[in-house]
Amino acid sequence: MFSRKQSGTTTIISADRVRAMASMDLWTGLLRYELWWIFAAHDIKQRFRRSTLGPIWLTLTMGIMVGALGFVFSQLFKQDMTEFLPYLAVGIIFWGLLTSTISEGCTAFIVGESYIRNVPMPISVHFYRVFARNIIIWAHNMVIYLLVIIVFPPHFSWHMLLFLPGFLLFLINLAWMGLVVGILSTRFRDIPQVVTNLLQVVFFVTPIFWSATILPDRTAFIQFNIFYHLLELVRSPLLGHIPPLQSWAIGITMALAGFPLAIWLYRRAYARIPYWV
Amino acid sequence: MAHISIRNLTVEFKVYGSNARSLKKQLLSQATGGRIASNANDAVTVKALDNVSLEINHGDRIGLTGHNGAGKTTLLRTLAGIYKPTGGTIAIEGSVGALLDPASGMDAEATGVENIYLRGFILGMTRSEIDSKVDEIARFTELGKFLELPVKTYSAGMFSRLGFAISTAIQPDILLVDEGIGAGDASFRENVIARTQEFVSKANIAIFASHDHAFLQDMGASLISLEHGNIVEDLRT
Repeated sequence: MFSRKQSGTTTIISADRVRAMASMDLWTGLLRYELWWIFAAHDIKQRFRRSTLGPIWLTLTMGIMVGALGFVFSQLFKQDMTEFLPYLAVGIIFWGLLTSTISEGCTAFIVGESYIRNVPMPISVHFYRVFARNIIIWAHNMVIYLLVIIVFPPHFSWHMLLFLPGFLLFLINLAWMGLVVGILSTRFRDIPQVVTNLLQVVFFVTPIFWSATILPDRTAFIQFNIFYHLLELVRSPLLGHIPPLQSWAIGITMALAGFPLAIWLYRRAYARIPYWV
Repeated sequence: MAHISIRNLTVEFKVYGSNARSLKKQLLSQATGGRIASNANDAVTVKALDNVSLEINHGDRIGLTGHNGAGKTTLLRTLAGIYKPTGGTIAIEGSVGALLDPASGMDAEATGVENIYLRGFILGMTRSEIDSKVDEIARFTELGKFLELPVKTYSAGMFSRLGFAISTAIQPDILLVDEGIGAGDASFRENVIARTQEFVSKANIAIFASHDHAFLQDMGASLISLEHGNIVEDLRT
């Protein structure tokens, strides 16, 4: 079923193996990293073709946004820049990664239409491409984080190493959410709009440019806000704190529930995606 | 030995009207207990291939013919693993290379050389394989310095030359071609025929879907006719 197969091997395509093929597709798609990585890099290159600064614009845009928001909100909330700016920078950078992966995940298969219908390669490649593209953008944005903590050093400690497992959990959750909305959006074309609006609302109820500590009681929309907890898993360590136990618990539970859900959905939808796109 | 064995292959799919694509209609149809459901689910099931069985042996050159909608492209797409069967089995021995869309992977903003890589990857080549073939591809296109320019500056003829040169650089065991390989301008015609014949001769099995009988004859293909998703005639000897 793939364009590259050693001669001598037999490929069986049959009606009752379609679901097994779907799982294989997710795996072999992952193994075609050279392909999706090149396409992700090409997407970025294309976006900034003929601009003098190129992808530095990604870093610059983030820097200007963090700088401006930091200035305005530290005045507005009468907060100390030393603490507020690193908090804001990390929040915006990771929120950006989260929202763009999910909202671009919605159209991952739709924009890959001509490939999906004409090129024999794993369909999941299109999903990995979106993911890789957003990781590249995130890496550019992280430069701002580094600059901010040089200027306003947080409390450096070993707790920062918790960023690694936290980020892994963050990415795993992002991956299944992106895949789920990607599949649903291909079938129901209203989903991308719904998702965009939901993310917008979540942006305002999630402590990103305001701090959860300014609310007297932790209100329900923070306590039960899964996005808040995902954000905490990466934000706290990068600021030198330990993420709350509750955030780990929620992050792990979501991953354990969401990953099988995404795979189940993919197996169900796999054969129909080429007709839906 | 390359071999394809198709047994009782059926491919059906639903074609949705714009109605069923909308979530609102789906939700409404749930809420109103089926009255709207009958027109919300205005999906029509199309049986594109109906119980097709076919053995394709090493060395076969096959031209699939038939009216539009007879199932030629569906058969190629199913062999390429793009469409999944709803019934039956296909066993394929050998690597499959498919030229279903002469332009997929090409990016008008990117340069000719970049496009050689992009389309090369899409066709299943690795970076090192393309590295080793890029000079030969470039030479064949006769585009010279133009290869450093964005493809959008090319004339239609130059564009198809480039696409053709890349497409014919792959070397699969089993070659699937939909509607020709995209030839290019007339002055280029002889080169194209020679290269196509050499390209096709390297494949152990080649299957073409085309209305162009002259092209099929040039390729030495035996015809198999499809009608309404069934094989109606097999002229292989």
